Amino acid sequence: MNRSQRILIVHCFVGSLSLLCGLNVFAQAATPAPRRIVSLAPSVTETIFALGFGNRLVGVTTYCDYPAEALKLPKIGGFMSPSLEAIVAKRPDLVIGVSSATDPVKAREMERLGLKVTLISLASLSDILNSIKGIAELLGSPDAGEKLVYKITEQFDEVKKRVAPAPRRSTLLAVGLQPLVAVGGKNFIDELITLAGGENIAGNAAQPWLNLPDEYVVAKAPQVIIEAGMGSERERSAKHWDDLKSIPAVKERRVYAYPSDKILRPGPRVGEGLEEIARLVHPECFAESKRGPNKGSGCEGSRP
Amino acid sequence: MKVLDRRRMILVNGVLLALLAFSVVGCALLGPVRLDLSQALQNIFSANPDAEILFRARLPRVLLGVAIGGGMAACGVVLQALLGNPLACPQMLGVSGGASLGGILGLILFPHWLLPIAGGLLGEISWVPLAAFLGALLSMMLVYRFSLFHGRLHPYHLLLSGVIFNSFIAAVIMFLNSIVDFYQAQGLLFWLMGSLSTRAYLTVAFIWAYIIVGFLWLWAKGLSLNLITLGEEAAMQLGVETVALQRQIFVASSLMIGAMVSVSGMIGFVGLMIPHVVRLIVGSDHRLLLPASFLAGGIFLCWADTLARVMLAPAELPVGIITAFFGGPFFLFLLYREGRRKLAL
Repeated sequence: MNRSQRILIVHCFVGSLSLLCGLNVFAQAATPAPRRIVSLAPSVTETIFALGFGNRLVGVTTYCDYPAEALKLPKIGGFMSPSLEAIVAKRPDLVIGVSSATDPVKAREMERLGLKVTLISLASLSDILNSIKGIAELLGSPDAGEKLVYKITEQFDEVKKRVAPAPRRSTLLAVGLQPLVAVGGKNFIDELITLAGGENIAGNAAQPWLNLPDEYVVAKAPQVIIEAGMGSERERSAKHWDDLKSIPAVKERRVYAYPSDKILRPGPRVGEGLEEIARLVHPECFAESKRGPNKGSGCEGSRP
Repeated sequence: MKVLDRRRMILVNGVLLALLAFSVVGCALLGPVRLDLSQALQNIFSANPDAEILFRARLPRVLLGVAIGGGMAACGVVLQALLGNPLACPQMLGVSGGASLGGILGLILFPHWLLPIAGGLLGEISWVPLAAFLGALLSMMLVYRFSLFHGRLHPYHLLLSGVIFNSFIAAVIMFLNSIVDFYQAQGLLFWLMGSLSTRAYLTVAFIWAYIIVGFLWLWAKGLSLNLITLGEEAAMQLGVETVALQRQIFVASSLMIGAMVSVSGMIGFVGLMIPHVVRLIVGSDHRLLLPASFLAGGIFLCWADTLARVMLAPAELPVGIITAFFGGPFFLFLLYREGRRKLAL
């Protein structure tokens, strides 16, 4: 066999491989989009509803409470502890979980039972946007994903534009006071704080959530303190910090409670969440003037 | 047993007291953030970050740590004597479980209730510790009732009912934890792991009052405790009213444990380990063992909490991790050394 013959054979081989691959892609595109989906996380449920495919959900977790229609769907157990039996009984053609929360052993078990399981990562903002596109693709409607992501990026841009003239404010975002549990680094909420014109005082921490000692908060002197999570009350949050008057947030009465988990969920409402944080970090940038939204006035001077 | 005289008593307790004073000062000066001491002492009452770090964030916490460490160790000493069991510890009495459940229920049902102190003049504190203390009292009564055997408190029954009660409570807590909201569940777990974080001097004073009264009461029973370790019957023959003594010790230590768990959660290992370590060093005369364990427990927890604050700074570790992580190996080492010394003799 001479050299040219050998090359010919290799070419044939590669060619047939690529042909096979092409067939495979074709076959994949031909499989029908999943119609019976089980969601293993509230953010996944929200994403599927936001993409307009809520009617394809046949099972959600007990924590899936948004939108209201999700409450009426059959439950397959908790967020960290879904019931394998309940999932299988729904005969889903797609199960979507979150890689940080869904038990990998359970995911493997489901695959062994013949279910198609996809785990998405929601650790950062880009993860969240990619997961929206990914889910849309899985559902056979990539356009809906692009559209939703575009809407969210527009919301981001709008907030960025509003807070751009304002100086950064150091911010503490806590979800619990006793003990003090704060948003650390490597957490999409840390990114939201930065986009909102703030600077997370625990942003350099290696953990996404961490228990902070009070002395660290005093030393870092945050200009804004936000307590997020269901049941937060501004008066109570303010009282909690009342004895630490050297903290600028306490002195300037920038201690807020944000009684909703909208900003805590890595789902399609992340753009609205960003605006909520920005409104707390830089309320002056959202003071509506008659000429329209803060037209060129620069918000650093006009405190409400 | 080594002979106890006044000199030895003063020497041991004096050294430990000096170490404790050093620890309190040292731990108040150490932390994840730098403290400018001269700044802190210059304007104590103005809104000065250094003063707030020292007097608001650290000092109450250090003082609470000393009280809890000392109280846990003292309770461990008397429970090991009362139950005649080297494994006895404050977490075993059922009271700690009751306190945890009370606190958890308080956190779930009315997380935002505040108790006005002296009609609101002295500020307001969270009601969760009170709920935990009520839980402790209730479980103390239950465990007491189940441990009565022919009208007297039976150590064997006390131990068993305490352990069973605690595992039952643990199941209830895990059940509650699995039905609440995800973020609330995180909060409950953090609370359960225990922390000495506090800024309320009032809470610290309340705990100190409980611990001091309880400790003095137990210390006064030192001689009877020595006798009861010889066995109940021997103690009775030597004139100890064992039935009354057992009851008193149970109530005193339960009240102390209830108060401690309600403010700091379950901080394990201090109550189990410190009494053994101190016993290996000073001997088993309870008149010396009790105060020495109290001081040693205070020193140990004080440093453990400081480590918990600085080890993964800025994140704070649950102090129970530190107590077990450093206490466990040290305890095993002492046990090993003691075994070898006995062999050599």
